[in-house]
Amino acid sequence: MSTVVQYLPYILEGIYWTFALVFGGLALGFIIGLPVAIGQVYGDKFVKTLLNVYVWFFRGVPLIVLLFLFFWGVFPAMGMKLSALTTSIIVLGLRSGAYQSQIFRGAIESVEEGQVVAAKSIGMSDFQTITHIVLPQALRIAIPGWTNEYAILLKDSAICFTLGVMEVLTRTRYVAVSTGVYFLPYVFAGILYIILTYAGTKVFNIVYEKYRIPGLIGGE
Amino acid sequence: MGSDVVLKAENLHKSYGKVKVLKGVSLEIRRGETKVIMGPSGAGKSTLLKCLNLLTKPDKGKVWLENIELTNPKVNINKLRARIGFVFQEFNLFHHLTALENVMIGLTKVKKLPKNEALRKAKEALLTVHITEDLWNKYPAQLSGGQKQRVAIARALAMDPVVMLYDEPTSALDPQLVGEVLQVIMELARKGVTGLIVTHEVDFALEVADEIMFMYDGKIVERGPPEKIVFNPSREVTRRFFEKIGRTRGVGEYGVLGRISPSII
Repeated sequence: MSTVVQYLPYILEGIYWTFALVFGGLALGFIIGLPVAIGQVYGDKFVKTLLNVYVWFFRGVPLIVLLFLFFWGVFPAMGMKLSALTTSIIVLGLRSGAYQSQIFRGAIESVEEGQVVAAKSIGMSDFQTITHIVLPQALRIAIPGWTNEYAILLKDSAICFTLGVMEVLTRTRYVAVSTGVYFLPYVFAGILYIILTYAGTKVFNIVYEKYRIPGLIGGE
Repeated sequence: MGSDVVLKAENLHKSYGKVKVLKGVSLEIRRGETKVIMGPSGAGKSTLLKCLNLLTKPDKGKVWLENIELTNPKVNINKLRARIGFVFQEFNLFHHLTALENVMIGLTKVKKLPKNEALRKAKEALLTVHITEDLWNKYPAQLSGGQKQRVAIARALAMDPVVMLYDEPTSALDPQLVGEVLQVIMELARKGVTGLIVTHEVDFALEVADEIMFMYDGKIVERGPPEKIVFNPSREVTRRFFEKIGRTRGVGEYGVLGRISPSII
């Protein structure tokens, strides 16, 4: 028992890797997801079809399959030797991008047509209309959905133990196997994930409140 | 085109599918003039207005702003739209911007004015429509309908438009808020701001218009001095329309002057 307890800080350190996976994945997913959403709303038929295939693929294949596919298949075939961590971040990002694009697409489509028409009426170009009028509103609308994406990605990051990334679950398993005590390490890990989910959600809620505009969704 | 004609439309046609909304509309507005378009719902009034700044693309016909043909596909329509003020029935203020920012954004992003000059112009425009300083930092949702519409007028006005187009500017307002908006439009007209107004407010039209154009079934069927069109029209459809909506002079409780909010006067 006491040996297990002395290993807990070791599990705790896994948070660095877990955060690298989650925030790396979220950031990459944002960089991919936002342009994909814009393309899905404003693009021509060809662009829309192409983006739909991307979304359809990454939403349709289980994460664990994507991880194996890219780590053992796609990247080696491309002659790239990427670490388990890098591969995991890229895969989480590509997958989250597909989900985030749908959050942003919904948000963009929920901006009233009148906003766009008004922007044009004062002489804005299509590009200015999107950057100055549509996106500032859509991104605010998207924050709650995006908060959810954080919570999902946090828990999905645990699956990266399959590639041996030194995140929380990998370390937990390591402690459990080497000490022969299973219950306590997994309870500890479970509580850790709950706390991280809760804390992250709180932080995003603060951001949401800070940027909330009266009259937009959730405003009053 | 006469030198003081600032907006001219020639033979505009527009269909949505099989429905012909505009069937050959022509009009011109001279600098400083105020013209009013009236007519029953579905006559094509809003479509006509949107065709004038090409928010809707006419199928046929031409539009000129001063000496530039807007319907020429080679022109930069965005740039030219900045010179036509447009006021929407539903206000369409930008939700994420304060009253002041709503007026400023066109000046900074479209006209590329330096910030302090944009700020000065925006404040001036807001004061012109009687939006006082205490409201400048409010978001649209924190304003009344009448205040929203006046900010929307200021947003259009600040761009120094050649002409202002008003698309039923008071139709979405509660009755007690109509007066303050009509008052502002009237003041602008008297200051010489060129305007084309679609409205159902007969009293207001009588007060403000140099000419009323009556639209019916996609055409302007009659045009002339306000008194003549309202009280002594030549066409049967026009007479029936004004009989239906009623003719009053702008003095009574239901007349426009009775509805102007005391804070404005």
